[in-house]
Amino acid sequence: MKSIVWSIALAIGIFACSIAPSFAQERSAIKQGFELAPNSGKRILVLRPSVRVGAQSTGGLFEPNADWTEKAKENIHRTLKEYQAKLGNATVVAPEAYGESAQIVEEHMALFASVSQAVIEYQFFVGNRLPTKKLDNKNDVFDWSLGTGVSELPGAKDADYALFIYNKDAYGSTGRKILQVMALLGPGVAVQSGEHVGYAGLVDLKTGDLLWLNADAAMGGDVRELEGSQKRVSQLLEDFPGSNIGKE
Amino acid sequence: MTINNYVRVAVLAVASLTLTVSPASAHKLREKGAEIDVADSNVMVTPARNWNRLDVKVGKRTETWTLDGEQLNDVTFFGGIEAGNPLVKEKSKKRDPLPKFTKSTLLIEVPELLEGTYRTYKQIGAFQLTSTEPQKFLGQDGVTFTYEYTDADGLTRKGEAYAAIISGKLYMATFDAPRLHYFARNIEDFRALASSARLQ
Amino acid sequence: MMLKSALPFLAIASSFAISANAKPAPNPPPYAGIYQPQGVDELGMWREDDEGERRLAASPLVIRDEKLTKYLKDVLCSAVGTDRCNSTRIYVVREPTFNATMSPNGTMRVFSGLLLRMRNEAELAAILGHEFGHFESRHSLSKFQATRRGTDMLAWGALLASMTPSYDSRRTYQSLEISVYGSLFRYSRDNEREADLLGLGYLNKSGLRPQAASEVWQNLIGEIEASATSRGLKKPRFDAVAFTASHPPEGERAGYLAALAEPTGADRDDGAVRYREALSGWLPVFLEDQIKLNDFGGSEYIIAKLSESGWTPHLWLARAELYRTRGHQRDLVNAVQFYSNAIALDSNLPDAYRGLGLSLIKTGDQTQGQAALSKYLALKPNADDAKMIALMLPKEPSQ
Repeated sequence: MKSIVWSIALAIGIFACSIAPSFAQERSAIKQGFELAPNSGKRILVLRPSVRVGAQSTGGLFEPNADWTEKAKENIHRTLKEYQAKLGNATVVAPEAYGESAQIVEEHMALFASVSQAVIEYQFFVGNRLPTKKLDNKNDVFDWSLGTGVSELPGAKDADYALFIYNKDAYGSTGRKILQVMALLGPGVAVQSGEHVGYAGLVDLKTGDLLWLNADAAMGGDVRELEGSQKRVSQLLEDFPGSNIGKE
Repeated sequence: MTINNYVRVAVLAVASLTLTVSPASAHKLREKGAEIDVADSNVMVTPARNWNRLDVKVGKRTETWTLDGEQLNDVTFFGGIEAGNPLVKEKSKKRDPLPKFTKSTLLIEVPELLEGTYRTYKQIGAFQLTSTEPQKFLGQDGVTFTYEYTDADGLTRKGEAYAAIISGKLYMATFDAPRLHYFARNIEDFRALASSARLQ
Repeated sequence: MMLKSALPFLAIASSFAISANAKPAPNPPPYAGIYQPQGVDELGMWREDDEGERRLAASPLVIRDEKLTKYLKDVLCSAVGTDRCNSTRIYVVREPTFNATMSPNGTMRVFSGLLLRMRNEAELAAILGHEFGHFESRHSLSKFQATRRGTDMLAWGALLASMTPSYDSRRTYQSLEISVYGSLFRYSRDNEREADLLGLGYLNKSGLRPQAASEVWQNLIGEIEASATSRGLKKPRFDAVAFTASHPPEGERAGYLAALAEPTGADRDDGAVRYREALSGWLPVFLEDQIKLNDFGGSEYIIAKLSESGWTPHLWLARAELYRTRGHQRDLVNAVQFYSNAIALDSNLPDAYRGLGLSLIKTGDQTQGQAALSKYLALKPNADDAKMIALMLPKEPSQ
């Protein structure tokens, strides 16, 4: 029961964020001084996007839904291909990894998700900024890293930067308990259904520095539909350095 | 260790519905060079760089500091845990009890106490103590130990801790960070904090 | 099998009447060839699963011991037949809960907590066979299809527990990495019974003793009750044990599994000796994982059950550590006894001397305690905590 109470609190929290304009959330940031011009000759290593789509059960458990994930993956991959051309620079698709190599990739993916989450929670989110991050914001400093271990990622030696994409959608499901929750919240409250999280990040393969991050805990578009996936990828890659994605 | 951030976020946001929120975050700055007390106790530390104090506690007489977020670097101070108490607040005293610090706990058993606490709380199997050495802490004979564990987010973290038992109470400072890049990056910052710690 | 579900534990009376002359569970259907996914739904699930399996294989929580994995595979094969079992891949996950899952593409996850609690090949085969039963009956697919047709797909807001793999010291199952811990398909109770029957059918046909299937549940009930009792709880938390969260009540299950086991199979081998040998390297590790979960009653129960086939030094050591950790004065006295028992069986167990020494010191016997600690250092001069231990010993007179 406790977890439901927290979830309600979180739900209310997200309402506050989406209703009140004073809680505008930054969605992206760029490392100070980083520039990537189109056709610069730099190569971008595109890592296998992590795409999970599913339902959220009554207990808040994430139940992957294979059909949805499959559709979303197809859609996102297809859209990403189109967008790669728009990224403005050459892309290299990461080779398949096995054994120890695969473990390195997994650990980096997990770290990327963790870093992105920390960026949203502690540098972007107005109500929760760490004081040192606030100072950073004042000085236009965006200083996050995955560490130099990224140079060991498969395909790293053939590229300058790596594009990490992490996407997770959990569409809420019904249940008696949810009905009770809704009753508590009262009528007329517009709620974003489920949870839709996406992070896209560009990492320097020499230093591991996060050069660009687009992190959104409230993404739009229903990725189960092609149009929704296009919107999602567009959101994920919006303002990608050197591209004109999102500016059309 | 830190309590779920989302609880914190939620609590903050709930408040915002009814009050005018002040722009000041509940997390506080801990300024370089300024000695300050921690963990509602008589432990004083002097940061050698700016740190952030997180506004949520994992238990009585604890306090957590971070540079980038507790998922990336987590320094937790324990300011005199009394005999009969667990290290952190139990989810449920009856149903999910945690191991306790007792009157008879020896200094050399403190690493096991931390291990048992992490394993029980997080329900994990992959935890390993990797070293245990004598080390002065808070000016007294104490112990320093290191460990490694894999948590539910799939990240393997390394940890280092300093502890001493003074007047029958357990004082400790721990540092947890992903083994990929982050542990090495800030371990010296943690050691500086730990060695600056003193009892008032 | 599922992880902890939020569904309340339902005590619905079984519609499955067990009469006095119940026939044994029927033989499984003839094997229909290498299993391939059919149709869009299934293809989709296999591909998501393949992705999940790829990530599982790269997880730090997987125990990569080829010998152990092969052994488990062999047990599965002996239960369901070689033709069938070649469509599965087994992964052992370092996770101290009693659980095993099987996903649509043939990935079987066996948790270390399960391996700790099995006492012989027959019991293990019962569980693996049950899981395989879900796979062969394609329960996950039918469940998925049923759900998709149902009205459960409406998107409701409100319940927004964080689903990102978040670092959270207070871990809840909401943050579990699904690729590691397995999908959470909630099978219906009929599906569970069907899988039980299939599993039992395999066992009946195999060379292993099918009565073991029922014994798994009886043991689990005992453990849960012991755990509850030692915590002063009246009502055991059946929903806290992953395996049982959404299953038919254990008692009912133990009942029909016993009734439907092939009676003539009762004399068969249960492979207890083979099982203990195969697990001998890992058992102390898994037992330690269990002891450190602070469940005194449950751990005592497991140790007692394991001791039925004879006390080993490691069992005494584990029991001693359990008592020393709880640390009441009378516990320490018991711990001293248990460490001594371990040493009597194996005089080369450094950790037994360590624990003995610490326990003796804590009960006021400084001299004997120091002697034991010295022995520990003599056996393990490069111990991680050697310097700390050395500080507890009387100083050598300087030369």
